[in-house]
Amino acid sequence: MNIQFKKGVLELCILVILDKKDCYGYELVQTVSRHIAISEGSVYPLLRRLTKEEYFTTYLQESTEGPPRKYYSLTTKGKTYLKQLIEEWNEFSTGVNQIIKAGVNDE
Amino acid sequence: MNKQQFMKELNRSLKKLPDEERRDISQDFEEHFFIGKQEGQSEEDISSSLGSPGQIGKEMLAVYHLDQVQSAASTGNMFRAIWAVAGLSFFNLIIVLGPFIGLLGLVLAGWAVGISFTVSPVLVLAELIVNPEASSIFEFFMSLTLAGIGLLISFGMLKLTKWLTKTFIWYLHYNMRLVKGGAKYEYR
Repeated sequence: MNIQFKKGVLELCILVILDKKDCYGYELVQTVSRHIAISEGSVYPLLRRLTKEEYFTTYLQESTEGPPRKYYSLTTKGKTYLKQLIEEWNEFSTGVNQIIKAGVNDE
Repeated sequence: MNKQQFMKELNRSLKKLPDEERRDISQDFEEHFFIGKQEGQSEEDISSSLGSPGQIGKEMLAVYHLDQVQSAASTGNMFRAIWAVAGLSFFNLIIVLGPFIGLLGLVLAGWAVGISFTVSPVLVLAELIVNPEASSIFEFFMSLTLAGIGLLISFGMLKLTKWLTKTFIWYLHYNMRLVKGGAKYEYR
């Protein structure tokens, strides 16, 4: 898949995962990379940007094994943003699917 | 690349950031390596999955400077943000620096016209002193009209410059979202 396209969607994926539950960085990276081939390091700049934009807050939580982990949690602002992204995504993918269907039917 | 090499290269690419910011970023990757190793991965595997530390550093710089310019849109912050986003990849360089240079030319030209029109009566008065015979009252009134137009243009430029700054920050942001990292990025 085209890498530039994938980067845009990565943001949406991370927001969706965090909407379900708070996660630490490693967990987020693993969840995404199980489904999509990504350069794992690129998740961290994204997390940092979305935190600075106040879509996430972070907190440290003790771990049973090793040092405390940094958890990311979706804010209300982040939830609103996620809703907007999902709408955009649905509109976009419906459009693409329609074009594909029309193209295939014509042949 | 083992963890130490990865962290060293990452830190090198972050050296322009404030200490606190850099420590925070390193901490995130320390955590990533720690948990990865706990799950039985080797340092080499973890770092190759993460990708190029230099590229991660560039993205971190862009994120930082973009945040800075949003909280204070000073000229210095603007240039640093543009530089950081343009530095992400060759693609970014063209789609960020190209429009910026074009707009900068336009803004500078607009200001030059506005300011020179506004000060034109001063120039006519100066000529009146240096060379009284050659100047006319007509020139002076013409220059007053020009000054009026110049003030209008300057006022318009003030609005335009503010608006363009805001729009360009938005454009940088849009770039980060879409082409962050660009095609140079390697993945498994």
